[in-house]
Amino acid sequence: MSTALEKFKKYRKPGYYDKFDYHWTMSIDLDRCTGCEACVVACQAENNLPIVGEQQFAMRREIKWIRIERYWEGEYPDIKLQFIPMLCQHCDQAPCEIACPVFATYHNQDGLNTQVYNRCIGTRTCAVYCPYEVRFFNWFTYEWDEPLEQQLNPDVTVREKGVMEKCTFCIQRIRQAKDAAKDDSRRRVRDGEIKPACVQSCPTEAMVFGDLNDPDSQVSKMARNPRGYHVLEELNTTPSIVYLKRVHTDG
Amino acid sequence: MSTNVMGVFEFEDEFIGALRRLKESGFDELTAMSPIPLHEADRILGFGKSPVRRYTLAGTIIGAAMGFAMAVATALTFILPTAGRPIITIPPYLIISYEMTILFGVLFTLLGFHVVSGLPAWRDRIYLPASNVDRFTLVVECAEAEKSMLAENIILESGAEEVSRVEGDR
Amino acid sequence: MADYVEPTYAEVNQDVLRAMMETGPKYWATLGTSIAVAGICFFIPWFYQLEVGVGVAGMNRSAVWGTYLSNFIFWIGLSHSGTLLSAVLHITNSSWRKAIYRSAEAMTLFSLITAALFVMVHLGRVWFVHWTVPVPNQMGLWPNFRSPLMFDVMAITTYLTASSIFIYMGSVPDFAAVRDASTGLRRKLYTIFSFGWRGTAKEWHTLGWAYTFFAVLVIPLAVSVHSIVSWDFALSLVPGLHHTVFAPYFVTGAIFSGTAGIVTVMFLLRKYMNFERYIREIHLVNLGKLLVLLSLIWTYINIMEVFTTWFSGSSYELEALEWRLTGFYAPMFWEMVLFCAVVPLLILFKRIRTSWRSMLIISILINIGMISERFIIVATSQPRKFLPNAFGFYFPSAIEISITIGSFAVFTTLFLIFVKWVPAVSLYEVKETLKPLRRSR
Repeated sequence: MSTALEKFKKYRKPGYYDKFDYHWTMSIDLDRCTGCEACVVACQAENNLPIVGEQQFAMRREIKWIRIERYWEGEYPDIKLQFIPMLCQHCDQAPCEIACPVFATYHNQDGLNTQVYNRCIGTRTCAVYCPYEVRFFNWFTYEWDEPLEQQLNPDVTVREKGVMEKCTFCIQRIRQAKDAAKDDSRRRVRDGEIKPACVQSCPTEAMVFGDLNDPDSQVSKMARNPRGYHVLEELNTTPSIVYLKRVHTDG
Repeated sequence: MSTNVMGVFEFEDEFIGALRRLKESGFDELTAMSPIPLHEADRILGFGKSPVRRYTLAGTIIGAAMGFAMAVATALTFILPTAGRPIITIPPYLIISYEMTILFGVLFTLLGFHVVSGLPAWRDRIYLPASNVDRFTLVVECAEAEKSMLAENIILESGAEEVSRVEGDR
Repeated sequence: MADYVEPTYAEVNQDVLRAMMETGPKYWATLGTSIAVAGICFFIPWFYQLEVGVGVAGMNRSAVWGTYLSNFIFWIGLSHSGTLLSAVLHITNSSWRKAIYRSAEAMTLFSLITAALFVMVHLGRVWFVHWTVPVPNQMGLWPNFRSPLMFDVMAITTYLTASSIFIYMGSVPDFAAVRDASTGLRRKLYTIFSFGWRGTAKEWHTLGWAYTFFAVLVIPLAVSVHSIVSWDFALSLVPGLHHTVFAPYFVTGAIFSGTAGIVTVMFLLRKYMNFERYIREIHLVNLGKLLVLLSLIWTYINIMEVFTTWFSGSSYELEALEWRLTGFYAPMFWEMVLFCAVVPLLILFKRIRTSWRSMLIISILINIGMISERFIIVATSQPRKFLPNAFGFYFPSAIEISITIGSFAVFTTLFLIFVKWVPAVSLYEVKETLKPLRRSR
């Protein structure tokens, strides 16, 4: 009887997990970001993102799991340019996850907000609920002209029409690293062993990826940085991406 | 061998009067057919609260329990945490429970209707099509011949248009 | 009307059954046209969309919901008066309900079916829609009952089941009347439909009880259905949608548009099926009064919605509100205010209230306003969410507009088929409202 009660208590626990196995987190140092968009291109290559074409781009249907948001501050000539790389925040309390009627998006034991393409029926509710606008819908089945289909990543699926997709933190690389760790009979993945495509390609090393559960990991140190903040923190979505930015008080 | 006496009435009040007098004279096997529901006839024939309500109650209770149980059980077959919510979340499952309460309430009421009313009955039974338009018909089952004479008299005295003896399933 | 002569019981049967069984060339022409329009404007574009992808619609990122969803809400809303109104009036014993409730309930059923079709049209992969139904599937996975969309699935299937049972059970005695008045195949069919109904006191008594229970169960159901539809929106964080007032707002709007829909349908039935003796001025006046009341409630909730948004001081909410009131779709917003808040006040004048033609125009205007309301809710909130970088714009494509027009033809087709299969006016309940057949009168 007591086990049943314990089980019930476990199932009543908000978020279900006491602690994630890994708590994958990314920190992005905005003071270092130059807005070069190397991460965008790397993501495109790694994750088989379709190229939607000029007309569809004009209709705002481009699929870019990471994008550089560009904001101008002030008026010319006294003007400043700000960049924010925006990608799925892998929120612990993700608004998108409550929406899906078929569990196509859920929270896994690594603290990742996953999207299961095979289950998706395309209600698009998750995209409406997402405050960060980082979910992308396959309006058509996109095709790659020859010989571009030769460069598709074999570790990542190609999505069909009617399916929602978004940044996975390069889950295929996380998977490989975890498998490699198991093959070497290590209990955990080493810090810095996994680099999502965007992190790997960042020339200024503005992005750091790692496990927040490990207090000595580089990303944990970055997360403790006083410059750290979350985008749209007031919505209480508890995102997994920490942005670092020095606040300019001079105006 | 029992006989069925059928009386056809043009007016509601005379029909009700005939029903009342037959009932008072000890005829219990009465069938009253009318184009509209007559609450007076229900009272005379002794239909009080319908047993349908028990079906409805049972349905709503079963539905409420099943709805909640279904939500909990299906959530536990596959543990898929979402949005920082518990696996067993009370408020959303209560909504599911609410809808299932009504669904099962309606379905059980439908079942209750069929059980209590004896419908569907697609066999041949004594029936006068006019009684679904503008005539009030009653059929009384009499065990003996003299009884049926008495019944015929009562029906005629009450003002029936027509009295006849009919064969068939009442 | 002083010259009004009450029909006799037999005349009721004759009139209603004649309207049902005798079919003129006008009917076939209308039915043919509406089937053609439904096919060309609704189904062919839909099949094209299934083949190519939802991209043929005008939706884009940040406005991933479009007219399909706003039409879904509209049709669900239109379904709200029929069964709900009929049930409320049944348990409050309002006898004026009896001549109109059958067609009102039919409206419920068919607008629900149209709404369900819009869900199908909306989905990206509609061929997997059965995954949202709690039956075992090949993945061994059950639906997510924590999702507001699942509440919707449960609510709408329950509503569809309950309202079809409600309308069917109310029609059983009338099916028996059709059976008695017909021969051949139709007689056989209606024998089955009517369950062998004879109108015995036992049957009436049981039906009365069961029907009252249906009515009692349907009322909270109907309220919950549109509340749940509103939660699809209100449970998101989107500015302009994340309001607690949404459930009553949607329910009121739904009953409002549905009541206006009943007025429209009543006009058409009266005119084209010769029901002048059954659908009368009292129905028009009573529904008119109800429309004024609902319009005032609707206006109040709208004012409160704008006020609370403004009072919140939240920059996101204010941005969305400003775009709604002054942006591209502002003319539509103010048109909605005109049609739903101002025009219904004209019903306060007796000359307008008692004129069929003016009430028809008002009822259509109200429903145009309500379509706009739903469109505004969907189209002006998503493009103004949180990050200015993702601000977008949505305008429906030709396919979406065509499917929207086609949906009215789908509804009309279903309704036209209905009036030839079910007596559009309830025979026995109309008879109940007539003077009872008594000798001692």
